[in-house]
Amino acid sequence: MKSTFKYRNRLIKLAILPFLIANSAMIQGQENNNNPVKLTPCYMEGLSDRLMCGSIAQPLSDNPADGEIDIHFAVIPAIKPSNPDEAVLGFAGGPGQGAVDLARVFNRNLRFARETRDIVLVDQRGTGYSNQLQCDSDDLKTQFAFNDAITDLQTMSKQDTEQCKAKLNVDLSHFTTSAAAKDFEAVRVALGYEGFHLYGVSYGTRIAQEYTRQFPASVITSTLDGVVPMQQSFAAIGEAIDDSLLALFERCKNDVACNEQFPSLETRFNEFLAKLEQQPIEAQVRHPRTYELIPFTVTKMKFYSAIRLALYSHTTRSILPLVITKAAQGDFSPLAGLMANADLTQSLAMGMHNAIVCSEDWPQLTPQLRSKYSNTYMGKTMIEGLDIVCPILEVKPTDKTFYKPLQSDKPTLLLSGARDPATPPSWAELAMVNMTDATHLVAPTATHGIGSQTCAPKIIAQFIDQKAMQDINTDCISEENDKQFFMNINGVANTYSTPTANKE
Amino acid sequence: MINILKVLFKKEVTDASRDKRSVMAGLYYAIGAPIGMCLLMSILLQQLASPDALKITIENANNAPGLVAHLASRDIKVADDKNDPLLKAITLIISDDYKQNMSEGRPATVTLIADKSDDKLGKHINRVEKAMAVYSSEIASLRLVSRGIDPNLMRALAIEVNDQATPDSKGGMILGLVTFSIILTLFYAAMSLAIDTSAGERERNSLSLLLSHPLSSLHIVLAKVGAIAAFSMLGLVIILIVSKVVYPMVAWEQLGFSITITPEFMLFCIAICFPIALMSSSLQVFVSFMAKSFKEAQSYVTMVLFIPMALSMVTTYDIATDIVQWLPIAAQQFALMEFIKGNPIPVPQLILSTGVTVVLFALFSFLSARMLKSEKVVFGL
Repeated sequence: MKSTFKYRNRLIKLAILPFLIANSAMIQGQENNNNPVKLTPCYMEGLSDRLMCGSIAQPLSDNPADGEIDIHFAVIPAIKPSNPDEAVLGFAGGPGQGAVDLARVFNRNLRFARETRDIVLVDQRGTGYSNQLQCDSDDLKTQFAFNDAITDLQTMSKQDTEQCKAKLNVDLSHFTTSAAAKDFEAVRVALGYEGFHLYGVSYGTRIAQEYTRQFPASVITSTLDGVVPMQQSFAAIGEAIDDSLLALFERCKNDVACNEQFPSLETRFNEFLAKLEQQPIEAQVRHPRTYELIPFTVTKMKFYSAIRLALYSHTTRSILPLVITKAAQGDFSPLAGLMANADLTQSLAMGMHNAIVCSEDWPQLTPQLRSKYSNTYMGKTMIEGLDIVCPILEVKPTDKTFYKPLQSDKPTLLLSGARDPATPPSWAELAMVNMTDATHLVAPTATHGIGSQTCAPKIIAQFIDQKAMQDINTDCISEENDKQFFMNINGVANTYSTPTANKE
Repeated sequence: MINILKVLFKKEVTDASRDKRSVMAGLYYAIGAPIGMCLLMSILLQQLASPDALKITIENANNAPGLVAHLASRDIKVADDKNDPLLKAITLIISDDYKQNMSEGRPATVTLIADKSDDKLGKHINRVEKAMAVYSSEIASLRLVSRGIDPNLMRALAIEVNDQATPDSKGGMILGLVTFSIILTLFYAAMSLAIDTSAGERERNSLSLLLSHPLSSLHIVLAKVGAIAAFSMLGLVIILIVSKVVYPMVAWEQLGFSITITPEFMLFCIAICFPIALMSSSLQVFVSFMAKSFKEAQSYVTMVLFIPMALSMVTTYDIATDIVQWLPIAAQQFALMEFIKGNPIPVPQLILSTGVTVVLFALFSFLSARMLKSEKVVFGL
């Protein structure tokens, strides 16, 4: 009898085994059912991987009468979800860029982090699929012909702004950084993550810091790439642009070939700017896409802006000596090509952009700061622009506490490029004054957003994994990453060939 | 009748459990297969995964500092030392007229020398080629920009690929091996047991003793098949548990996919594998009775097992034709793979093949029972 009992016991054990499994499976299923968000497969430009997209309805403001706004988000699934409770939350820059549309970029910068964790991208309210606040912008042809020096710019921007305001027809005060931070938290709750590893780029670092301030318990680590300190206005950017441009001139001067091909580049640039300031040049160029002859009014603002945008990437930086020299010689084709290439206005939600800067950056400008920032051309231009736009948009100024540097004990990694024309390393130093566990890495030759340039993706992934910067080798950050200058219209010039050839 | 079967089944199980070592020997496969496979895969992964830093030989590097710097930014560097372990047998030769052609806007020649039949090198060659293609298009774009032309004109099509694969479904080949090893358990875990309980019993002369009882030979066969199937299923449960623990330890994510053995999959597997276990047991018993001696049975069973293995293999390597996909084992394994991938399960194939599996089980059992009525078989004459 004993053996029967034993045998039965064995069978029972066998029978229990699948049952326990079934039980645990049921619990899992239930957890998923509690999930209120419906995720559907979706695809984003330039990324073949299947993402899961969804949206949640969020109150537009504290007043229920204002209604709701749908916040859209996408999850790039982890390759091996060994940390299902954590995800990396990517914040886009701008302000005004939609994070979901940038899935390709986030996927590339966070490719190592994605090996074990999901990446969550949320379109901040007013951007991307979350009720994008876009104003109409001129087409390329109009932009080329437009003479911003002669036209009464003030009246025109006023009209544009009023038109945009009427088109958007919404109180922009609901689209500030502090309002948006709550949406990100709601998405976290809806998706059921216990915590986020933050990854913000450019303006994205400001919202990341605000999110950390409002919801410290939801933040595991924070990676800020191209840091905007809370206490700093965007209008301070002018100095960074000038520094970045100076670094370019300096590099060309120290490069034998570049100096030979484009001698005294800086002087030439400044002389040309002065010339433009006196009198814009009326020229004709081929339309970069249709090839028809179109009028091109070269003004100081257009020229400087095109150069400024080109400073962001090493690829476009490499042709700047050529563009500047050609323009000074009266050949504006390279400039036209550069302007066609950097058609940024389309991807920025200008309504949301203005909501942020008018609520957070404009009110902060004291007379002292105004005069300080106006020392640079771009700073001055920006302040003038804000002075026109912001009074019309009537966005409520943000709370004074917003400008306090973030106090945080979260492991924080700050990344800067020394040649960044927007958020230089000094800004990161300013941001980290009250952070107790912060590490600042500076890539000496990198520009804006070093996550797309250097070996930073690997370091970010290690940092997220270990939740600390100790024991992480960061040597590779200091490797040079700039590109050779374009010496002539085809690339390398043959004039400065090998030394042996010169001897002959 | 149920009672008789119960008693007989109990007898077979007790008989089998007596020799614990041989039972364990059968189950070792279930424990060892996933572990062995993971070790193998880990080694393979190291070979496959392109290490971050790749060193190659570049001749005439001075002619193309831009290209060299670009490659370096993608972690493809010039080896300073010929004995560098990272140095791969890839040589780039920058032509002497590189600068000349480049500055005149003509294609500048770069020659890549490598052995493409070397499988270990393939991935690295691709990487170098890709990096150079990026550089080429970057320079080309800047050439257009400096002529005032939008480089996007070069892209007549914006080709968007929507890959429907999930991280779980990308490892098709590996998944095939995983399910293959699982299905194989059903055959191997109880193989020695199957031979022992039939050919062995005959050799120990206890078979004739058993038959001398007032029992139908079908009952005896069914009890034997049942006991063997029980041990097969035990092997299956063990391999599933071991797989669940071991597979997540391999760094699959480096290859861009994952293998997750979920509890749902384990249940699904147990459910659809049960008929296979019955079929495999009855097949092995049948073949063992056909053989004249224990040793002969061992050879025959091993040989016969080649058929299910082949069926499983064609599914693993995805060379199954549409017809083969309907056959037993192949269809079940295909269903298992689709389940892991999260794809819809091919229900008609699964139902048909399960039906055929059950019919085969009945057929083999019936044939074995008939054989036991012949003295030639009972005494191995």
